Amino acid sequence: MTLFQISKWKMAKPAAAAATLIACVMAGAAMAQTFGTQIYDHVNKRWVPYTPQAAVRYYRAHGKTPEEFQRQLVTFRTAEKPGTIIIDGDRHFLYLVLPNFQAIRYGIGVGRDGFGWAGIVEVGQKREWPTWTPPAEMIARDPEAAKWKNGMPGGEDNPLGARAMYLYVDGRDSIYRIHGTTEPWSIGLNISSGCIRMNNEDVIDLYERVEVGAKVIVLMQGAALYKGV
Amino acid sequence: MTRFLQLLRASCFGVCLSGTGVAAEPVVIGVPAWPSAQVTAHILSATLQDELGVETELREQGTMTILGGIGSGKVHIHPEIWLPNLEASVDRLSAEPAKLVLGQHGVAASQNVCTTHQTRQETGLTSVSDLTNPDIAARFDTDGDGKGEIWIGAPTWSSTEIERIRARSYGYDQTMTLLEMPEQVAMAAVDAAAALGKPIVFYCYGPHHVFDLHDVVMLDEPAHDSDRWTIVKRADDPDWLTKSRADTAWDEGRFHIGFAASLGQDMPAVATFLNAVKLTASDATTMSYAVEVEGKPADQVAQEWIAANKSRLEEWTK
Repeated sequence: MTLFQISKWKMAKPAAAAATLIACVMAGAAMAQTFGTQIYDHVNKRWVPYTPQAAVRYYRAHGKTPEEFQRQLVTFRTAEKPGTIIIDGDRHFLYLVLPNFQAIRYGIGVGRDGFGWAGIVEVGQKREWPTWTPPAEMIARDPEAAKWKNGMPGGEDNPLGARAMYLYVDGRDSIYRIHGTTEPWSIGLNISSGCIRMNNEDVIDLYERVEVGAKVIVLMQGAALYKGV
Repeated sequence: MTRFLQLLRASCFGVCLSGTGVAAEPVVIGVPAWPSAQVTAHILSATLQDELGVETELREQGTMTILGGIGSGKVHIHPEIWLPNLEASVDRLSAEPAKLVLGQHGVAASQNVCTTHQTRQETGLTSVSDLTNPDIAARFDTDGDGKGEIWIGAPTWSSTEIERIRARSYGYDQTMTLLEMPEQVAMAAVDAAAALGKPIVFYCYGPHHVFDLHDVVMLDEPAHDSDRWTIVKRADDPDWLTKSRADTAWDEGRFHIGFAASLGQDMPAVATFLNAVKLTASDATTMSYAVEVEGKPADQVAQEWIAANKSRLEEWTK
């Protein structure tokens, strides 16, 4: 078992872990970020808070996320093999390791709830336009969700977005996913909708590059330390 | 063929004629799971074969299994025995009648708290005791609780317990969250921090390839003082943490080649060679880096090392 839940917080029991799966795929949740991201203001040369409101404003104005959360090739010195994914929930980056100390860096959004874990997992399954099934509590609460109790087919309105990579631990589904989103403005934020979210263009790009069996390292910092579940 | 090899074969010829038959048995070299030991095992194997004309067998095993094999006579060489970590086993196997001999030349090994050069410049963190400063500690906070985070080792390592004791003894357990996790996760965090120039502080040991991969510096702390090190093991006492104290640097560690004492009688030339081998911390780091970072197989790294160190090998096989 290489998946490490964080001992500083009370750890999820199996039932609670199942609930995390639910949290993991909730869409349209409240803007619950309480520990904020910062982005660099190149005009004023200082770090500024990047709140959900600021993110929405930025996205409306520019039609994309701030530059640092856009897909880019970066220098990344590591002993990890090319093809490995490293997820930094603190800075909201996902790195895909390439040869010669390079990596593709993608911006990600992480869940405020249900991300109280870190460790080494692997891509166990890949799905294009995955089906989303709302959790029972959401079905009970929300008539809109209730109509998808048997599963919402993949598509542009599906909260899992265009692609999903299912993260496995020791050959079993960990309940966590790297997936797309219907809310691309949310990249760079910690809000309670999604495990590791990427905008659809990026998740398609990553999906094409990653093999089933790829090693995924979730760093034990930032979102991995949040109380969660 | 070197003169040494000629002499050895002459010696072996005599031994074989005497009927002991020891030369017919291969020298078994244990191959533990970490890269510098794997490369060293291949270097020893190739040198014994090519320079001393001795048949060898490489056997991948855990370090305790290798030591057990030396005790039972089934294994002849452990390429890298760490001390003081394995001191109890070494003492037991070295007691009369001795089963194990350590090579004469050890390699210095270190255990510290490390950071990156950039972190040191940007945060002012220079010593371990600086971590008790809440303002400095907060620079390492990634989850918004006001405390920094520090990796203190993998959960299964004996050093991790001691790092927890050290954190409590220095007092930075109050300002920092002590994280235990697999080394690969911790090293990837160092990679990510270095890529972004983000502050990071972590337990480190050397020789290790991280020192070649990143600009890593060790934090200052008072020199080791055995009078200020009282370590009670978690397994021995539920109050281990409160009964322990360690607020100075680690004692200097070292590792040695270990070999079966029987080689001294049965194959003295082999024992002489193993005693002469004098690797350095730089050798171990280079080996580790080549395997872990450059992704080369251990036997290939060994061949490259041999090609680059012919004069040293000649000296050791004189």
